[in-house]
Amino acid sequence: MTEVPNPFADPLRFERRVPECAIVIFGAAGDLAKRKLLPALYRLAYDRRLPASFAIVGTSRTPLSDEQYRQGMHDAVKQFSEDGEVDEDLWKRFAANLHYVPGDVKDPQLFVALREKLDAIGQANVLFYLSTQPSYYPVIVDGIGHSHLAASPAGAWRRLIVEKPFGHDLGSAKELNARIHAVFREEDTYRIDHYLGKETVQNILALRFGNGIFEPLWNRRYINHVQITAAESIGVEGRGAYYQEAGALRDMVQNHLLQVMATIAMEPSAVFEPNAVRDERAKLLRSIKIMRPEEVDLYAVAGQYKGFRQEPGVNPDAQTDTYAAGTFFVDNWRWAGVPFFIRTGKKLPRRVTDIAIQFNQAPLALFSAGDGQQKARPNLLILRIQPEEGISLLFLSKEPGSGMRLRPVSMDFNYGTSFGERSPSAYETLLVDAMVGDPTLYTRQDMVEASWSVIQPVLENWNNRRFDFPNYDAGMWGPAEADAMIARQGRQWRNS
Amino acid sequence: MSSSAVQPERILKDLQQLWAQMAKDQAESGGVLRACAMTLVVVAENSGDAEHVRQTVGVLMHNHPSRAVILRPEANAAALDARIFAECWKPFGKAQQICSEGIEITEGPSGFTEVAKFLVPLRVPDLPAVLWCRGKAALEPGPLEPLFPLADKVIFDSGDVADADSALQYLRKLRGRGIRVADLHWTRLTGWREVVAHLFDDGALALGEIKTAQVAFGGPLVTTCARYFAAWIRTALPAARVTMATVEGASGLRSVTLSTASDNLTITRGSDPNIEVSGCGRQYRSLLPSTSEEALMQEELGILGPDLVYERALSA
Repeated sequence: MTEVPNPFADPLRFERRVPECAIVIFGAAGDLAKRKLLPALYRLAYDRRLPASFAIVGTSRTPLSDEQYRQGMHDAVKQFSEDGEVDEDLWKRFAANLHYVPGDVKDPQLFVALREKLDAIGQANVLFYLSTQPSYYPVIVDGIGHSHLAASPAGAWRRLIVEKPFGHDLGSAKELNARIHAVFREEDTYRIDHYLGKETVQNILALRFGNGIFEPLWNRRYINHVQITAAESIGVEGRGAYYQEAGALRDMVQNHLLQVMATIAMEPSAVFEPNAVRDERAKLLRSIKIMRPEEVDLYAVAGQYKGFRQEPGVNPDAQTDTYAAGTFFVDNWRWAGVPFFIRTGKKLPRRVTDIAIQFNQAPLALFSAGDGQQKARPNLLILRIQPEEGISLLFLSKEPGSGMRLRPVSMDFNYGTSFGERSPSAYETLLVDAMVGDPTLYTRQDMVEASWSVIQPVLENWNNRRFDFPNYDAGMWGPAEADAMIARQGRQWRNS
Repeated sequence: MSSSAVQPERILKDLQQLWAQMAKDQAESGGVLRACAMTLVVVAENSGDAEHVRQTVGVLMHNHPSRAVILRPEANAAALDARIFAECWKPFGKAQQICSEGIEITEGPSGFTEVAKFLVPLRVPDLPAVLWCRGKAALEPGPLEPLFPLADKVIFDSGDVADADSALQYLRKLRGRGIRVADLHWTRLTGWREVVAHLFDDGALALGEIKTAQVAFGGPLVTTCARYFAAWIRTALPAARVTMATVEGASGLRSVTLSTASDNLTITRGSDPNIEVSGCGRQYRSLLPSTSEEALMQEELGILGPDLVYERALSA
C-alpha cells in the first residue's frame, strides 16, 4: 500500500517526528547508559523531539526501585550532559516516564516482568537497546523471542539496536547475526556505529557528493594515498578488563575506521536512500583486498604502550594491542594501487581523529627548491573529525618579497564557526534515526561481515604469536614498526 | 566602535584594520576567528530601535555569523554616516574567540536609494544576503523598495499591521516581482502547524474525513496569522470548508477546530507556552517553541532557498 504523504508536512521547519514509542535499555545502569544514552534522550526531550508519552524502561541486575533509578539517571545526566545543567521542571516530566525493571537476562522471569511493564505503559512501538556485555546479546535476543516481545501488533514495530562489538571475529559475527535473525528481521536490526552518527563523518558525504570540484580528483590519478588517524591521549581509564579482550584492532579498526574508510572511498549512490547508501558502503568494504597470511607482517603493526600491563584489571602478561596500524588497498578501478593507511592507539601524543588525503605532486617541479627553501609539499585535504571539526586544504603560495619562494599555507573551514548551531551528539542522531526507522547511518549484516573479513587474517596472525610488548612510550606516535610499515610504501606518517 | 568617512572602500579598509588589530590584541589568548556565512542587513524602525537591533543581531551571530549592516534612520542627519563594530563570543570550552563584523549606517536625507548604492560594495561576495525590515511601516509600499533587489530574501513582520489584507497583498505583489519574502507572523505559527501536522502523522485524524475547519482568533481585526493559518489548511485540505471566527481574548490565534462527520478535534491556546489538543480520543498538551524575535529570526535565517509551503499559503 502506498503511503499518502501528509499535506501538512513542512520539512524545512518541522523536525523529523519521533513516533510514540518506548525504549527498553538492557544494561541500563551501565556506563554507556549513564554517559551517552540517558543524556542523549534527555537532550532530545529538552529539544522537544520526543512525544509526551515517550517511555524508557531500564533493566539490569542492580536491584533498584523506579525512584532510585530516576535519581541515578538524574545525576548521570547532570554529570555527562554537555553543559552540566538539568532543567528540573523538564526532568520531572521526563522522569515520570522513566521506569526500571531489575533482573537477570538469563532469567525468563525478567522478560515476563518487562512484558507486564510494557503492557502497563501501553506503547505498541518498542525499541530494544542492547547495552550490556556483548556475551549477553544472544541470551537477551533469545529471551525477547521466547517471551514474544518481538511480536508487534498490526501497524506497530519492534526494533533492536545492537552496540558494537558485533562478534569478536568473522565466525562469531555470523553466529550472532543468525541468532538475531531468528527473532528480528534484518530491517528491524540497527547495529550502531556511533562514528557514522558524527556530523563530520556525515559531512564527508556532503563534501564529496554535494560539491563538483572534489569528485573529479577523487581517484588514483590524483590521490597519492590516504591516512586515517584516530588517536587518543588517554589510556584504558578503568576499562582494562574489557580492553585487554578487545584491543585496538577490534575496538576501532574493524568497525569505526573501516566504516570511515568506506565513506571516503565509496562510489556515489544513485539516490540518497538508506539501502542505496549502505549498498555502496558494503560494496567498498567487499572491495578491500584481503591480506594473505604472509602479507600481514608487511601491512599490519600491533603496539602496546609502556604501562598498559600495570593498569588495573589487566593481565601482567597481556598481548593486547593498544595500537594498531594497517595498510589497506581497494581492488577497484578508482583506487587500484592507492594505499589507505589506518592507525589508532591509546596514549598517543594528542586526541585527534582525522583523514588526510594526499594528492600527487605537480607533474613538473617548476619552482624547484633552492638553498634554504622548503622542499615542495604535496597538497593535502584534511578532514578533521575531532576535536576541531572542519576541513583544511594545504597548498603552496608565494612568499611575499622578491624571488619565487613557495610556502605551504592552510585554508581552513571550521565547522563550528560557519554553522554556529549546536551539533547533535552522535547518539541523539542515531536514536532518532532508529525511532523513525531510518537505518542509513547503521551498519548492515553484510557490512559487518565484510569488515570482519578484512581484519580476520590480521587477527589470526596476532592471536598466534607473542609480541615483544610493550613497544612504544606513552606520548609517542606508536611503535617504530608503524613508521617502517608506511616507509615500505614510500610514504611517511604526517606527523612523524 | 570607530567612526568612518562614508565611502564603502574606506569602511572595508577600516574593517581590515579592525581585524588586524583584534588579531594582534588576542594573539596570546589564541587569536580571533573571523566567521561569515551571509550579509544580514537590518533596517531599524527608528534611532532607538537600532540599539535593540544591535543586541538581537549579537544573539543571531552565534548561529548565523554574518556581516551585519544596521541601517539607523535619523530624521535630523545631515549626511550618510557609518561606523564599524565587531561582535565576538567565546564558544563553551574554547580559548579562541569567534568574531563577526558589523557596520552601522545612519541614513542620510536622501533616503534609501542612496543607501542602496552604498550597500552594493559592502555585500560579502558569493554569500547570500538577507534584508530584515522591522516594523509595520515596512509593509507599506514605497521607501524601502530600493533595498529589496540587494537581498536574496526579505523578512517582514506583519504582527502589528492594522490591515492584514493590504499587508498580504503587498507581500504577494513583491513575490510576484521575484522577491523572496518571509513574514515573522507566519514563523510564529510553526509550533501550531507542527501540532496539526502530527495529528495526521499519528493517525488521530484521516485526511479524507475532515469536513470543516474553523480558525478562531482574538481581537476585533482579522490578523495575518489567522489568514495564513486558514490558507495553509485550505491548501492541504482542498475539499474541506475552512472558516474564520473571532472570539474573546487577546489577539492572535486562539483555537483551531477540525471536524469530521462525527467528531471534533480542537487545538486551543492554553496558558503560555502550551497549547491543548482535545477530541477524537486525544487529550494532551504540547509546548510551543519560543516566539521571541531572536528565535523567529533564527528560523528564518536557516531557510535561504525557496519556502514553498509559505509561498503556497501566501498565494492561496
